[in-house]
Amino acid sequence: MKHRAVALPGSKQSAAYVVIVACALMLAACAPAPKAPAKLAFVVEAWRTAVYQTEYMEECPDGIAIGNDEIWFDSLSPAEKDKWTTGGTQQVLDLPRRPQSYLRGPQQEDVCWSPTAVVDPPMRVVRGRYSYGMNLDGTTDGSPTPKSCAHGKFTDPDGKVAVDNQLYRLMGCVYGYRDKGYLEHHANRERQDESQGIILIDVDGVDDARNDPAVQVRFFLSATPLYFDTAGHIVPFSTYETVRGRFGDTVKGRIVEGVLETDPADVTLPVYGNDAAADMVFRDFRIRMEIAQDGTRAKGLWAGYQTVESFWDYIQKVQHNVPVGQYSCPAMYVAAHDLADGYPDPKTGECTALSSAFEFEAAAAFIKLPSGSPSDEERLAKQLTMAGR
Amino acid sequence: MTSTRNSRPTRRSVLRGFLGGAAVSVGLPLFDALLNDNGTAYAAGAPLPLRFGTWFWGLGHTPGRGIEALSGRDYRFIAECAALEPFRARYINYFSGFNTLLDGAASRVHYTGWVAAKCGTVPVKFSGMPAPTLDTFVADQLGRGTRFKSLELSSTGNPKDSLSYGAAGSHNAAEVSPLKFYQRIFGSGFRDPASGPFEPDARTLLRQSVLSAVTEDRKDLERVLGAADRARLDQYFTSVRELEKQLEISAAAPPSMESCRLPATPPDGAPTLAIEEVQAAHDALARILVLALACDQTRVFNLLYSQAASEIRARGTTFTHHILSHEEPMDVNLGYKVQTAWFNEQSFAALARFLTMLGEVREGDGTLLDHLLILAQTDTSDSKTHSVIGIPSLTIGRAGGRVRAGMNVAGNGGPISRVGLTVMQAMGVPVSEWGTRSLRTAEPLAEIMA
Amino acid sequence: MPASTARRLAMLVAAAAFCIAACAPKEPQVRGNRPQLRLLTEDQYRNIIQDVFGPQIAIGGALDPILREEDLVAVSAGRATVSASGFEKFATLGEGIARQVVDPANRDLLIPCRPRRADARDDACAAETLGRVGKLLYRRPLSGAELQRAVETAGAGAARVGDFFEGLTYGLSLLLVSPHFLFIADSLRDEVSPPALTGYAKAARLSFFLWNTTPDEALIDAATRGELDDRSGLEREAERLLKSPRLVNGVRALFSDMLQFEKFVGLSKDTEIYPAFDPQVAQDAREQLLRTITWHLLDQDEDYRRLFDTRVTFMSSALGRIYRVPVEDTVGWSRYEFPAGDMRAGIQTLAGFVALHSHPGRSSPTIRGRAVRELLLCQKVPDPPANTDFSKFNEPAATNLPARDRLKVHSTDATCAGCHRLTDPIGFALENFDGAGQPRTRDQGAAIDASGALDGTEFTDVRGLSGALSEHPSIPACLVQRVTSYALAGTGESFDMPWANYLAEVFRRDGYRLRPLLASIVGSPNFYAVELPVVQTAAAEESHR
Repeated sequence: MKHRAVALPGSKQSAAYVVIVACALMLAACAPAPKAPAKLAFVVEAWRTAVYQTEYMEECPDGIAIGNDEIWFDSLSPAEKDKWTTGGTQQVLDLPRRPQSYLRGPQQEDVCWSPTAVVDPPMRVVRGRYSYGMNLDGTTDGSPTPKSCAHGKFTDPDGKVAVDNQLYRLMGCVYGYRDKGYLEHHANRERQDESQGIILIDVDGVDDARNDPAVQVRFFLSATPLYFDTAGHIVPFSTYETVRGRFGDTVKGRIVEGVLETDPADVTLPVYGNDAAADMVFRDFRIRMEIAQDGTRAKGLWAGYQTVESFWDYIQKVQHNVPVGQYSCPAMYVAAHDLADGYPDPKTGECTALSSAFEFEAAAAFIKLPSGSPSDEERLAKQLTMAGR
Repeated sequence: MTSTRNSRPTRRSVLRGFLGGAAVSVGLPLFDALLNDNGTAYAAGAPLPLRFGTWFWGLGHTPGRGIEALSGRDYRFIAECAALEPFRARYINYFSGFNTLLDGAASRVHYTGWVAAKCGTVPVKFSGMPAPTLDTFVADQLGRGTRFKSLELSSTGNPKDSLSYGAAGSHNAAEVSPLKFYQRIFGSGFRDPASGPFEPDARTLLRQSVLSAVTEDRKDLERVLGAADRARLDQYFTSVRELEKQLEISAAAPPSMESCRLPATPPDGAPTLAIEEVQAAHDALARILVLALACDQTRVFNLLYSQAASEIRARGTTFTHHILSHEEPMDVNLGYKVQTAWFNEQSFAALARFLTMLGEVREGDGTLLDHLLILAQTDTSDSKTHSVIGIPSLTIGRAGGRVRAGMNVAGNGGPISRVGLTVMQAMGVPVSEWGTRSLRTAEPLAEIMA
Repeated sequence: MPASTARRLAMLVAAAAFCIAACAPKEPQVRGNRPQLRLLTEDQYRNIIQDVFGPQIAIGGALDPILREEDLVAVSAGRATVSASGFEKFATLGEGIARQVVDPANRDLLIPCRPRRADARDDACAAETLGRVGKLLYRRPLSGAELQRAVETAGAGAARVGDFFEGLTYGLSLLLVSPHFLFIADSLRDEVSPPALTGYAKAARLSFFLWNTTPDEALIDAATRGELDDRSGLEREAERLLKSPRLVNGVRALFSDMLQFEKFVGLSKDTEIYPAFDPQVAQDAREQLLRTITWHLLDQDEDYRRLFDTRVTFMSSALGRIYRVPVEDTVGWSRYEFPAGDMRAGIQTLAGFVALHSHPGRSSPTIRGRAVRELLLCQKVPDPPANTDFSKFNEPAATNLPARDRLKVHSTDATCAGCHRLTDPIGFALENFDGAGQPRTRDQGAAIDASGALDGTEFTDVRGLSGALSEHPSIPACLVQRVTSYALAGTGESFDMPWANYLAEVFRRDGYRLRPLLASIVGSPNFYAVELPVVQTAAAEESHR
C-alpha cells in the first residue's frame, strides 16, 4: 500500500491524518463488499420437560407420585375392590374400566376437568438439589422479587447456576415424565409420526454463523411434513412452510462460539402430543442452543415461566394419560398453584406461572416464510381446525 | 457354415456352429429333432429327476486360504472356505490349477475369467457374448419337461446380474425380488400336488391358444431380415414356445413329489448392495428355489450371490468388497487382507447355507444334494491382480450317482474349459468337445465321472 | 447507373450467389442402414400403452432390461432378443393390460362397440375393437389374416368361458405379445428400387425418434394414404411432430440414453454415510437433469453448450436437502437459480451426474472423469489392464487421505498415468460434491483442492471446469454423433461420418440449438435411407471356408 506524503502548509500531523484517511479509503475500496445477512434455521426434532434424575430416585425421597388409579382403588369398599381383583391381583386398567377411575367426583365429575371437586393426598414433589434450567428471577436464593414469589431454587448439575425450575419440582416425581415413563416419549413419537406441533426456529440477521452479537430469533409452527432417514432421524436442510396467523414471536439474541442465547421475552409455543394440542405460554422465555460445527444439527434448552393456565390446559386435555402417567389431577392442580413462582397476580398476590426448562434437539432447516396470499390463509386455517385448536 | 431352410444339417455340425461362437440361424423344427424328448413322464416310479445349477460369487478367495491340499486328491477346506467343510467329503470337488488360456487376447478385468469358463471362449469383443453359456445347453437337455426351463436369480437386486446367455446373445435376466419370484413359481400358475383332485383350467388352455396364434405371425416378419435378425426372431419364437410348454405343464396334473410343499410368503423388495441385504435376499431366493426344485417346477437354475468384481459393501463403510480387494493393505502379521477375507468368508457362508437347505429336502434314499450337480464359479483367482490363472471352481452334488466327489482335481495348467465340458457331459449333454482355440478340449475330467 | 456498373454489379451478385451455393456445405448422402428389427424398450412400451389405452391403465411389473452393448441402448435394441423369462413378462403384462381394458370402469372409454350379448362371442364387435387397437399397436392396419386370427382367438375364448369381454382379453393379449407389436420392423415397399421404407416404417422411425412412442392415428393414416411416400407429406408430418409439446418425451429419452440413466435404477448410497440420499433423491436427481436439459434446449431454445455452465435448474424438496438450498415448492418442482459464483454451474455439477458416478460411500474422481470423457465428449477411455500392480496401495494410512492424495499414484505410475491423466484431473474439480452430490469444502479434514485441467485448459476450481467444458469442441460434436446414431439406431459401421460432420456444421451454424438439429435430421432423406444386406451364396461361403 502506497501513500503519498502530502505537504500541507504547516502541520506534519495533518499530513499524517490525510495519509491515514487515504489509506482507510483505499482499504475500504479494496475490502470485499459486506455479505448480505444470512439466516440459520432449525426444526425441533424432539423436546421434553428437562427432568434431572438419579438412579435411585434420591430426588423423590417419598417415592413416585401416587397415581389416580391407586387413590381411586383405595377409596372403594372391600366388596367393590373384590370386583376389580382377580386371584389377588388388581385387574389391568383397560378401556371400559378406565373412566371409572377419574369419574370420581361426588357427582361423578371427571376430576381432571374439575380438579377441586375432590381433595387428594398432597402430590409428592421433588426434594432434590439439582435441576436443569436457568436462573430466571436473578436471585441466588429464590427470595421474592416484583416478578416472582418466594420458592426453593436448584443448582444445575455443573454446580454453577442457581436454577429456577418449579415445573420440575412439580413433575419430577411423576413416573410418566421420567425417563422410563411413557408420556414425553409418546408425545415426541406422535409429533414425529404426524408432523404436528413441530416447532421451527428462525435465526435472522446472521453475519457470522459462529459469532454474531446481534441476531433475531423467531418461532413458528411447521405446516410441512417431516422427512426421515432410514435410521429415524430428520434429514437436515428440508424446507418448511409455516402455519400462519399464530405463533411467530420474535426475540433478540446473540451467537458466541456457536452457542445461541436469547434475551428474555414473552413467547408462545405450540404443544402437541398424547392426542392433545395446546399452547405453552411463556413469560421471560429464553433459549440456549448449541449449534454443531458443521451446522447440520443443534441441541439445547429453553426456559421461562410457563403460565399455570396454559400448563393446566394441556394437562386437562391429556387427561386420558392419567392412568399411564401415574398422577392425580386434583393433587397436581393444588401443587401447581402452590409451587408457581412467577408473575404474581396483582389482586391476589398469588404467582401465576411456573419456572420451567425443556431440553430439545434440532436439525438444520430452511423456513419458507409466509407470503400473504388469501388462499394460503384458508388452507392453513383448515389445517388448524383439523389440529383441534 | 450355411444353414438354409431345406437342408438338414447333422446334429454335430449344428452344435459345432452353435458352440463355435458364430450366431447361426437355426430353424425351430431342427431344434426339436436334435434333442431327446425325455423326462416328461411323472408316473409313479419314474426315476428321480436330475438337476443342475450354477452358483456364482465374485472375487474368488485369497490364494492359499481356500483349501489345504492333502495327499493324493484329498483336501480340506480352510479359512475363507471353512464353512463348506461339512459337505466336502460326500459332495464337493475343488478344481485348482486350470487356466484361462488367452492366446494373446487382452484380458478384460472381471470379465474374461468368467466368460471363458462359462462359454469356453475367450472374449475379444467386450459387448455381446462369444457363445451361449454352458448352463443353457444343460437346460436344453434337462429342462424340457418342467414348467420352467431354467430359473435365474440374483442376490444383488439387479436383473442384469445374471451370467446366463442363450442363443443369439439372448440374456436371461435374473429374478431379484423374493416375493415376485415366489409369485412367479407358486402363484396362480402353480399346481399344488397336495391340493386334492386336479381340475384342468379352461383359462390356461385359452392362454395357450393365444401363444399358438402368435407363432403364425412368423412368416411376414422374416422376409427381409439378415441372418442375425432371423436368429433373434428364432429366439423370440423359442421363448413363445417355452411359455406354451409352461402353460401345458400348468394345465396338466402336477407331479407328485415327496418333499414338495408351499413355502412361506417372503418379504417384498429387492436389496441394495449392503451385505446384510444381499445375504437376506440370497437366503430368501434360495429357500424358494429349493422348494421349486423339490416341486419339480424346474431342473436348472443359476443363482448369483455377488457379481463379478463384487460391489457388496458393509454398511457405514466407504469401501466395497471390490475396492478392498485392491486397496486394502496386507496385514503385516497375518499376511492377508483382513476385510477382503471377511467378505470372501461371507460368500462361502452363503453357499454353505444354500447347501444346507438343499440337504434338508428328502428325496428317495437321499436328499436334493444327491440328485443334483452345482457348478460354482467365480471371475478371478487373485482378485488384487485380476489374475485369471488358476481360477478356482467347485462342483457340488452327486448328480444321481453320475459324479464322484470329495476330490481336489489338479489342472496342471490345462484349459479351464475341461471343467465345463465334464459338467455338461455329466448332465447328459451330447457334446464331445467344447471351446475354441486353446480352450478347445475333448478331454473331460474322468476322475470325477462315475 | 451506367450500364457497365450495372453489369459489374450483376456479375458480382451472381458470383456471390454462386459462391454461397458452392461454399455452403452440401448434405452428403448416407449409404443407408440395413432394415432394422428393434425391440421395444421398456419406456417405449409404457408410453405406447399409455398413449393407446390411457394413463389409468396400470402396468404392473418391469420388463427385462435391454443390455447396453454399444454407446446407446437405442442401438442395442436393434440387437436385443427376447429370452424365455423376458417373454413371460410380456405375456403377463399383456394379460394384465387386457383385463384392465375390458374392466367395466374402462370399457366405455376404450371399447368402441357393444356385443349383442355379453355372454357370447360377437365377431363384429371384436373385429371393430381389435382392428382399432391393432392398428395402433402394430403401427399399421392389421392384415385380413391377422385380424381374423385375433377375432377367432377372442371368439373362441368368449364361447368357452361364456363372456364376451373375457374372450376379448385373449384377443388383446395376442396383439400385445405379437412380434409385430414388440419389434419395430423396417418394412420395405414392394417392387421399389432402390429399396425404400414403407410409409408405416417411416412413421415409426419419425415417431419413436421425436416422441419415443408409437405413431399416433393421424400419422398412421397419413401413411395409409401414401402421403409419407413423398417428401412434402413427410415434411408436413415431421413438422407437426416437431412442433408438438410431446417432443419433450423424445428429447428426454434421447438424453436418458446418452447419459446412461438406466444406472439410476438401483442407485443406492450407504445409509449411514449419506442418510439424506434415499430412492426419492435418486429419482428426483434423474428428473432434475431431464428437466434442466429440456428447459434449456426446448423451452428456452438455447445453445447446447449452455448446459455445461448454466446455473438454472429445478428443485424438489428431496433435492433441497441434498443441495442444502431452500425450495419454493415443497410438494412439486420449482425453478431454482444458483447465485453467481456458486460451485454449481452445468449439468456435470448436478447430483444426477456426480452422485450417479460415485461409489456408494464416497466420491470418485476417476469415475466422474471417465463419465465426462465418455458421455459428454464421446472419448473412449481404455479399460484398466489386467496386470495392474496394486502393491502401491499397500500403505494403511492411504485410506484416510483426501481423494487427490489417495489417487496420487494414478498420475505418478507409468502404467496408470496414461489413462488416469485423461480422467482424474477432471474428476478432481468435482470433489466439492461428495458421493451423494452434497456440497462440501473439506474432505477427510483437509480443504479440497479443486484445481484440474481439461485438454490443455487449466483451472483452479469447478467453475473453471464448467467454462472449459462449455468451450470444448467435442461437446457439440459428441451430441451430434449421439443424436444421429440414436436417430438411425446404428453406429459408425453403417452410419456415415460425412453426414455427422455435415450435421455438426449445421449445428454450429444454427447456434448449437437442438430444435434445428432435430429438424435437419428428420428433414433429410438420409434419415429414411435403407439398403439391403448383401446376401452371400452358398458357393461364395464355401470358397471362404
